[in-house]
Amino acid sequence: MNVRPMRVDDLPGMQACNLQNLPENYTMKYYLYHAMAWPSISFVAEDNKGRIVGYVLAKMDDEVPEGDEPHGHVTSLSVLRSYRRLGLAKKLMQQSQEAMASVYRASFISLHVRKSNRAALSLYKDTLGFTVKDVEKKYYADGEDAYAMHLSLK
Amino acid sequence: MSKLALQKKPLPSKEAGLFKELLTLYETRQLKKGLKTADQILKKFPEHGETLCMKGLVLTNMGRREEGIDLVKKGIKFDLMSHICWHVFGLIQKADKNYEEALKSYTQALRFDKENMNLLRDSASLQTQLRLFESLVEIRHTILRLRPNQRQNWIGLAVAHHLNGNLEEAKKVLEHYFYSLKNIPDYDVEHSEVLLYYISILEGLGELSLALTELDQSARSRTILDRMAILETRARILTKQNVSEADEAWQSLIERNPDNYESYRGYLTSQGITLDTPNPEAVAKLEEFVTKIPRATAPLRLLLNVSSGDKFKELIGAYITKRLEKGIPSLFADIKSLYVDEEKRKVVEDIADGLREKCALEITVSSEKDEDPSTHLWTLYFLAQHYSYLKQHTKALTILDFALHHTPTLPELLLLKGRILKRLGDFIGAAKYIHDARLLDGQDRFLNTKCGKYLLRAGMIEEASRIFGMFTKKDAPSPASDLQDMQSLLFMLEEADAHRRDGKLNMALKRYMAVKSTFDDFDNDQYDFHGYNLRKFTINIYLTLLKWEDRIRSHPGYVKAAIEASRIFVLVHDDPSAVSALQSTDNLTEAEKKAKKKAKKAEKKKVEEDKKAAPQPNDKDPDEQPKKDEDPDGFKLLGSSDPLEQAAKLLQPLQTLVPESTDGWIAIYDVAIRRKKLLQAIAALNRVHSLDPTHPELHIRLVDIKQRSESLAPSLSTQAASVFSETLTQLVPEGLSLETLNSQYLQKHGSDGKALLAVAKAMNILNAPQEELDSTVFGIVAEGVKVDVKTALSTVHFLATIKSQRVTEFKEACQKRFQQSTAFSSPTEIAELKKTVIRDSTIELTNGVTNEEVKAELL
Repeated sequence: MNVRPMRVDDLPGMQACNLQNLPENYTMKYYLYHAMAWPSISFVAEDNKGRIVGYVLAKMDDEVPEGDEPHGHVTSLSVLRSYRRLGLAKKLMQQSQEAMASVYRASFISLHVRKSNRAALSLYKDTLGFTVKDVEKKYYADGEDAYAMHLSLK
Repeated sequence: MSKLALQKKPLPSKEAGLFKELLTLYETRQLKKGLKTADQILKKFPEHGETLCMKGLVLTNMGRREEGIDLVKKGIKFDLMSHICWHVFGLIQKADKNYEEALKSYTQALRFDKENMNLLRDSASLQTQLRLFESLVEIRHTILRLRPNQRQNWIGLAVAHHLNGNLEEAKKVLEHYFYSLKNIPDYDVEHSEVLLYYISILEGLGELSLALTELDQSARSRTILDRMAILETRARILTKQNVSEADEAWQSLIERNPDNYESYRGYLTSQGITLDTPNPEAVAKLEEFVTKIPRATAPLRLLLNVSSGDKFKELIGAYITKRLEKGIPSLFADIKSLYVDEEKRKVVEDIADGLREKCALEITVSSEKDEDPSTHLWTLYFLAQHYSYLKQHTKALTILDFALHHTPTLPELLLLKGRILKRLGDFIGAAKYIHDARLLDGQDRFLNTKCGKYLLRAGMIEEASRIFGMFTKKDAPSPASDLQDMQSLLFMLEEADAHRRDGKLNMALKRYMAVKSTFDDFDNDQYDFHGYNLRKFTINIYLTLLKWEDRIRSHPGYVKAAIEASRIFVLVHDDPSAVSALQSTDNLTEAEKKAKKKAKKAEKKKVEEDKKAAPQPNDKDPDEQPKKDEDPDGFKLLGSSDPLEQAAKLLQPLQTLVPESTDGWIAIYDVAIRRKKLLQAIAALNRVHSLDPTHPELHIRLVDIKQRSESLAPSLSTQAASVFSETLTQLVPEGLSLETLNSQYLQKHGSDGKALLAVAKAMNILNAPQEELDSTVFGIVAEGVKVDVKTALSTVHFLATIKSQRVTEFKEACQKRFQQSTAFSSPTEIAELKKTVIRDSTIELTNGVTNEEVKAELL
């Protein structure tokens, strides 16, 4: 599969991929916001017809206290079930990490994952090297807790 | 009016103070207090225009829209010279997405307060939204003149010139800006973005060497921070310059991301090598990359495209084997595009046959396999996809059933079984297996979505909603409303189609129109970014946003929804009684009535709970308040007084955005001819003719327009009439009777189901004898005629609309032709079948295929 930086015309495909795959969904405006504010840190994977089969949607943390180092945040990472085992999630994340470090000097990346989502947890922990930093109580709208995970870029 | 304006007197100091307070209260969104303050002023000065307008604005923000707007209008009349009054009016129009009117109000306001920054900035956004770039340049000039110290105002002017097509001016403004810049902090992301924008302007002007110098300089001085952007821009410019260093630039990109196909394409193109046809040069280069970057998968896959003969055989064999061993589910999807090449397809087929024999052998030797059993399984999975793709569905199913017998718990196998049954027209059986797949992993939304979609395809709308509801927000009024809020085009379109097939045109139309309004939202979404990106200095991406927005309605989802909705509008126009027929509750079964009642009750409860939960609903943002669905069944939409006008509006964007869509032009014709826009109608047919002169839908329309032209043509002016008849003659030769036209078409395309259906429909327009029509219709499913389930179903539908006596008989004929399909079963049979779809556990997944059976099929 082709792995490349996100373009504006990928956004509907990313949104469709997200809706098909994950319980956390966003309206187009939110995707646009990511693209317009941080145009070079999100990536997509596409099949040979140009259909989006995976993506990482990333942002930088807006509210960094003075003196703290900037850090990135993964809003959403998803690969369609039928395109798993290709290592796409890892490839997407690596590209995004590099971009966050080079453009914004991010010192680490954070993300949230549902406590019940074992598959995602294992991906972040075992494949991508994230560690659990904290448990955020009732982070999700339905009351579920989230693991706050970190990956140092240094 | 001038008399009223003259009466304006300034408020006494107490009220003037209150008015100031009112402005602050509004800005800080303390609406209730604001309302009180406004009333305090109005008690003494009931005709104070600005206060009236502010009160109106507050009210609209509290959800009392109509009342608010009336007050604003009243306020303006009392004070036509007030910038506040016009500004308020503009704000309200803007919130309504009525950008044109809003801009007019802003322009008025600016007349009375020429240097108001808020007014100027909002006007600039409105002008951009409306693509009025000439006046945008003017207003950006004014803004810059007033606030030259703000960096974004320079960029704003440059962008305005750029959008107005004047790159040269944009360049000058930016150069002026760079010249005046002092103290750029290190590591400034914003400055980095502006430099990238500047370089793209130079590129656009064709000043490539200058662009390259700038780029290299900025890269060295680390003023451009985006390494990837530097590499990409460099590679692009060097390629345009056609110089030899281009390949190095592409190579750096490949090293940074070895899975981007475009970089390989760029690299090879810069060396004069193509990736589009097999050639040994490309093979050699790509093999170098395979050795150099072993983790990269792109060169391996690209090699399959550019190799041929023995080389291809060697590569594809290894490619397939390795991926079967790794158990990669997408293997077949990945390589099936190679099948367009006859020779390659043969090679893959040989490999598949080899695998098949191997599998059969293993079945014989049975137990002691030295191979990983999962490889065996993925091989069967691959083979089943391969044979189903070649339309050997029975073979595919036997292989699959064997695999399922072996491992009943792999969702992929069940998904594939469902897909193959769908291809055979067994929509209900398909849904059953996808539902079984879902049961194997209830946490997986991918399986859930697939299941919902297949249930919709099987016409099980209620069940689908329940399944979808497992992943939608629990506090949403319904799964559908959450999926719609989340802009799921897949859901809206699939459910619309399901309702349409079920004859519930009201609900179908409602969902198609929901797709339309989703695209309106996408369109409106850009508004905030006209200001936002200037503040963020992310101009390059912003410019692509504008281009994308200009073409947003070329998205297949919009095109589909617009065409389908227009068809429903046309139908309702032709037969207004359809609406009342649908409306009569007789159409509802008892179960549906119950479900409806229950839903209503739940909604009522929900609204009450919301009221309790939100103590001060009035102070909330109007957008956040749950919108009540004013037309839950879609009947208001369906019964619109102007169906054709609505349809025309929906189709309008298609003319320029998807001129290659024959379905689009046909829909445009159907609406235009009924609106008596004869020239538009004939032009649309002309477009279809140039795209596909033998298109079956075109054939029907040619007969239709000929039939209608006699009664319609006299309404045209002489000039228009001559254009019309000239074009028509080009499409349908003069003197040729429509009956002859029809039989000529039949003779030419008699072995194509779609064409035969078109002939039958034309016969219906021409009032042909019943037997003639019948024999044409029955010919559609005759042996030797190319026809798919969808066309056969359209034919059933057509027979039903002309109230044919032979629908059942025709369905029986269809059943014979599509033996495994459930689409032609009787309603009672279908009802029974549907009961079997949702099973609690996966009992009896397969028909217990034996080794012997599968071996027989494999050999």
